[in-house]
Amino acid sequence: MTNETSKVIPIQSIPYSRSRQAGESQDVLDHIIDDFHDNPESMQYFYDLFRSVYCHGEEVKHEGMLVGTTCIQAPEELIYAFGATPMRLCNGSYHYDQKGAEFMPSKSCSLVKATLGMLNSDNVIPKIGKPDMIVNPTTCDQKKKSSSMMGDMGYKVYDLEFPNVKESEASRQYWQRSVRQFATELRQLTGRKLTKKGLQAAFNKTGRAQAAFRKLHSYRLLSPSIILGKDIFLVTNAYFFDDITRWTEKVEALNVELEARKQAGFKAVQSKAPRVLFTGSPPIFPNLKLPLLIEEAGGVVVADESCSANRMLYDMTAVDEWMVNDMVDSLADKYLKPCTCPIFTKNEDRKRRLLDLVKSFNADGVVYQAFSGCQVYEMEYRSVAEAFNQAGIPMLYVETDYSPDDKGQLSTRIEAFLESMKNRKKQKQRAAG
Amino acid sequence: MNYFAGIDVGSTAIKVAVVNEAGDIAGVHVTASGSLFHKNSLEALNTLLDKLGLKREDVRYLIATGYGRKLFKEADDSISEITANAIGAFEAGKAFGGVRTIINIGGQDSKAIQIDDTGNVVNFAMNDKCAAGTGRFLDVAARNLDLDLEELGEYHFKSEVAPLNINSTCTVFAESEIIGLLANGHGKAEIIAGIHYSIASRTVRLAKRVGIEDRVYFDGGPALNKGLVAALQDELGRELVIPEHPQTTTAFGAAVLARNEFVAEQSSEKV
Repeated sequence: MTNETSKVIPIQSIPYSRSRQAGESQDVLDHIIDDFHDNPESMQYFYDLFRSVYCHGEEVKHEGMLVGTTCIQAPEELIYAFGATPMRLCNGSYHYDQKGAEFMPSKSCSLVKATLGMLNSDNVIPKIGKPDMIVNPTTCDQKKKSSSMMGDMGYKVYDLEFPNVKESEASRQYWQRSVRQFATELRQLTGRKLTKKGLQAAFNKTGRAQAAFRKLHSYRLLSPSIILGKDIFLVTNAYFFDDITRWTEKVEALNVELEARKQAGFKAVQSKAPRVLFTGSPPIFPNLKLPLLIEEAGGVVVADESCSANRMLYDMTAVDEWMVNDMVDSLADKYLKPCTCPIFTKNEDRKRRLLDLVKSFNADGVVYQAFSGCQVYEMEYRSVAEAFNQAGIPMLYVETDYSPDDKGQLSTRIEAFLESMKNRKKQKQRAAG
Repeated sequence: MNYFAGIDVGSTAIKVAVVNEAGDIAGVHVTASGSLFHKNSLEALNTLLDKLGLKREDVRYLIATGYGRKLFKEADDSISEITANAIGAFEAGKAFGGVRTIINIGGQDSKAIQIDDTGNVVNFAMNDKCAAGTGRFLDVAARNLDLDLEELGEYHFKSEVAPLNINSTCTVFAESEIIGLLANGHGKAEIIAGIHYSIASRTVRLAKRVGIEDRVYFDGGPALNKGLVAALQDELGRELVIPEHPQTTTAFGAAVLARNEFVAEQSSEKV
């Protein structure tokens, strides 16, 4: 018997900006800004945006209803056409990844885990407020199965049916019908009608953003590079949640600065810096681990084939007839035909795209990231590796997840890969010279 | 006479190599890493220089490699241990008609490297996620069997029965397995042989990921263990090229690179 009594220790509430979760974003953002030289001035807008949203937890405002998306296959133009705002929910935080682990098997996609962890949290960062609807395309298995979990958390979830086969006309029609059904659902949600004017305005808004991105993308062709990949990923990641008109203006301003850099012969890297094409599971802030390791080691990510950047903004809608039904069908085609996601049965388009990107951007090698548990990217590695092997293009395959504990080992591998690329280049030049 | 040095700052041991202008080895030195990497690296370098009767100024270029390569500020440059190992093995392999596959088992990791006929790294695979199949496994085994690390090799050949199957893939869990086998009356020799085969088969699986081509070069501290070498040869089904000082191949590669870089810089200055 003792005279001690137990007591309940109350939970200490910490302001978000001092939490470990904010610290994760803080560290990455500080690293992106401070540990590299000559950041473009126009990037300040994006640095400030991520500082306020991810480090200070400031509110992200939107117009009309909020429709969350969990995949780039959700046609955002349609959402805009109904006067709502789309926001991509795919999350890159290790903090949320750990929180989401209870919902999913131990070896499974960090991205889906993090998204579930975020949606299940009391304090959702970015602070977008509760979506009026979440549209969840049935693309990959793990995304598909997360649908009912999101429903159980109290969200209104719409399953957008997406085909597994690209090449068949049946799939094309299935997808067109699926998109039209989605339009019907949006009409019920918003209480508005889909008009040609509304759709055209939406096409213009997104078209302008895509054009700004493509111009930005074209500046990466230059050698030596005038801008680093870490900044491009930050710009495209901002597209997930930033106001689209403001985002477009800021990218256009960045393009103006890059044009000036180009005219002045500015170099962001040394002429021998290895040029890398990045492909695979998408880097989403704050998980820019792999692209940052590449650029810390002296490489430069000159292009990417990932859905958090290039694949999200590159393709345009080609409209045949400017009538609502035809416009919606053309929109559906834009989402299906150029898609190089590994969820399809065949991946000829992806291989073709990758080889083309290596050629146009004069890449010295490829880094292929697969999140542990992402079976589709893991499985496509084999055929992509063979295609690159035949073309004589070096590739490094990295299987990793959101946890920061493998940075040391990964940096060794990346350095070895860059060293090998540099050597190859030297040998080729000597042979040619 | 100009000299060039390579220092491999590993997690377990620091290895230093010095080569002359022709790229031939002048001397090597191996010491424990300890926790003060920079201090111990400097000491290791000075110890070797003293042994060779050289001064620090005689070393015209110094390259650091290994786990602690960026921490050693005394070096002129740093390079990944994969590239350094490839260069070292390529040079050493010339005497045997050329080496194309390199297997390295270190203190905490293991790697397989494929090189082309100019010594350039074509492909590589690393086991750097856990200590299974690394020097650490041998450490743990020796401790549990109450032996010195150096005794494991000779015990391997004392086994009069087939090597035991060690099922645990985890080094830490394998401890319990070893203790259990001893308690069940199994002899040290067949347990040790079993451990060697366990490491060997895991290593061969790793090497298959990059493709195995003759000749195969095996280095890293554990390559001093003749029993492990025998097990690896058996699992591979091929002969192995083992250097005289397997721990220092990587440091040697860094030294050769230091020499090459210096020579290249000199000739570009002349132009």
